[in-house]
Amino acid sequence: MSAIKAVLALASAPIAIGIALWVGFDVEKNDAELPLIHRAEGFVGEQTCKRCHPDQYETWARTFHSTMTQRVDPATVVGRFDGAPVEFYAKVAKPYRDGDRFFMDLPEGETGRRVAEVALAVGSRRYQQYFERVERDSGSVLRRLPILWHIDAKRWMHLNDVFLHADNPEWNAHAAIWNQNCIFCHNTGPRPGYLNQERKNEIVPDAQRSFDSHVASLGIACESCHGPASEHVEAYESVAARYFDHFASSNDTHVVNPARLDHERSTEVCGQCHGQRIPNPVENHYRWRVTGPTYRSGNRLTEHVTPVRIDTKLPGGSGDEFALRFWADGTPRLTAYEYQGITTSPCYEKGTLSCLSCHVMHGGDVRGQLEPEMRGNRACLQCHEDIGKDVQAHTKHDPQSTGSQCMDCHMPRMVFGVVEIHRSHKIENPNPARDAEKGRPNACTLCHLDKSPLWAADKMRELWGDAYVRPKSRPDKAPLDLPDSVASILSGDPVQRVTYAKACGAEGSALVAEDAALVRVALHATLLDAYPSIRWTAQKSLLALESRLATGIEPALRDWRHDGPKGTRESIAKRFLQEFQKRSTNALRAPMPSKLLSPDLGPDLSAIIALLDLQSGRAIHIGE
Amino acid sequence: MALRKTVVFGWYLLAVSLPAGLTLEALHALKVQVYLGSEMRRELWTLAHAHGNVLGILCLVYAAVADRFLGDERKIAVISRWLRMGSALMPLGFFLGGVLNFEGDPSLGVLLVPIGGVCLLVALVRAALATR
Repeated sequence: MSAIKAVLALASAPIAIGIALWVGFDVEKNDAELPLIHRAEGFVGEQTCKRCHPDQYETWARTFHSTMTQRVDPATVVGRFDGAPVEFYAKVAKPYRDGDRFFMDLPEGETGRRVAEVALAVGSRRYQQYFERVERDSGSVLRRLPILWHIDAKRWMHLNDVFLHADNPEWNAHAAIWNQNCIFCHNTGPRPGYLNQERKNEIVPDAQRSFDSHVASLGIACESCHGPASEHVEAYESVAARYFDHFASSNDTHVVNPARLDHERSTEVCGQCHGQRIPNPVENHYRWRVTGPTYRSGNRLTEHVTPVRIDTKLPGGSGDEFALRFWADGTPRLTAYEYQGITTSPCYEKGTLSCLSCHVMHGGDVRGQLEPEMRGNRACLQCHEDIGKDVQAHTKHDPQSTGSQCMDCHMPRMVFGVVEIHRSHKIENPNPARDAEKGRPNACTLCHLDKSPLWAADKMRELWGDAYVRPKSRPDKAPLDLPDSVASILSGDPVQRVTYAKACGAEGSALVAEDAALVRVALHATLLDAYPSIRWTAQKSLLALESRLATGIEPALRDWRHDGPKGTRESIAKRFLQEFQKRSTNALRAPMPSKLLSPDLGPDLSAIIALLDLQSGRAIHIGE
Repeated sequence: MALRKTVVFGWYLLAVSLPAGLTLEALHALKVQVYLGSEMRRELWTLAHAHGNVLGILCLVYAAVADRFLGDERKIAVISRWLRMGSALMPLGFFLGGVLNFEGDPSLGVLLVPIGGVCLLVALVRAALATR
């Protein structure tokens, strides 16, 4: 072999590789050039992070954070776009697919129809919402379509019926604009790009607003928590710099690692989204609408935003704009207020609790971002070690029972969101008097579902001392000797009703299946509730109770549609209630003397109606 | 003598690299996180296993054909030395690179890889030039 041939042979592979890289597909470049994506303000996008942090990328990519907002294609759309009609409020929609494109044939006005092409999908865990692009002037908006796909239920639902709203036949009542709502917390580095800037000093109607929106990443990606990474990337392009910093164990100051922040700064990283807020100062709202929020990971959150609390006022507002989002004592009762919960907890105020004390972003179960042991007492015992040595001495409950689960007492499920009930993130002791008098759920009666607030108060005093007193009254005026669950389901406000309706079907409650007669009657009455999400919750709890002790209602109850035509739906629900006695006599035990049920399980409809009449007329409209 | 050393070395290299492959498969089967959790380590150790096997076979093939094509004892001895050195350093470098690696970068042991690569290149060029 000649020397020239040898050199050519040796050089051929490096040259071929160089050419291939030069002309070949560049993932990072392609990512940056996609519609909706920007690379301003130092954001680089997750594909750039993946280059050096493949393991972190993989553990992030499997989370629901990563799929929070997605472009529409067959791999990302989970809804059934099969052309089958779906009916809500006497109108029909037909979601269908044409190749790799997704459409909805929708009712328009009283009798008209229109076709909307799905341009963006938001959500991937509980339900997926769909958005259409509407061109306006020089810009556009992404407008929410009126039906969504519920992932667990595997069915279409109307937006109105998964939010906390009373029935509303107005199909487009929830046609929110992504560019001024969802963009902020469901994406990374949002820049809404509001275009109606010449009308800065007036309130422009939604129908006239126009945007040229961009985000650094669709979904919650690396730079949401670690901050914009361009300086970090620049600094560490150099192999020498990487190895030097590694061996010198020096902390990179170009990006933020929330695990290395103190507990306050660390919690604020999550709080930028998991803590509803308004700009600080509030006048910055216009700037937000153009270039997006100013907070970056590691900043002091309150220098950029004011977390919304029960008494937060908007300029010119009445002062109770946000009151319905909290229980009367200021405890958050909706999701996305976890920051407000944790920061008012003693474990945070007096200790070093942060979100990362329990949650992990790069591991564990993506449903909750928790390692398995953090679902149990380990979460609390990592600090409260002494209690772990003798759990029963602290809980006064059987160590194996739910009464000995720290979170069931100190973080009860009483927070509504995405048509589910979640744990409160305000860690506190249960107090039956406080809870009953403030009209909020109580940890004791969320488990002891057939017990009253008076019983709970007496038990607390017996077991934990004289600090616990009896409640004097309930805000809804329901009798205090009635089981808290029943009184709350029948007479409470919508969040109380849905919270207790959910609790009644929960696994592991102290309610004995045979003693659930009164609870079942209350749930049956709730099938007539004005709020579809409450009806659905009650239906699911009744099915759960029925699965534990059958009375023969299961097939009919399963067929019943909480969002079906009102006349049919209500007549069937009333029949369930009327037939309760006949169906239940041999299966369920009569409760202690009760005004609502006769000893032979006959519901007293007039007494039930009297309790229903106590419901506050104040409507709650909680969407997303 | 040089070829005998290369044959023995080739067999030893295979004796190390083949069980290494079985071990890596076992780590997959047992879902050993310290291995599976690091994409960098998985890639480097897979490369160590693959290079060990291929270079072991190369040593055996070289020893089998060197006499026939190269002839010159002195040249055979020199090329054999470069080949053995490269064949040892490359898989070792890949392996060590994955032992104390950190996010996105291998440990400094990986520096043995380019050194081994140069040794193999030298062996290759000298063998090519010496081929009759």
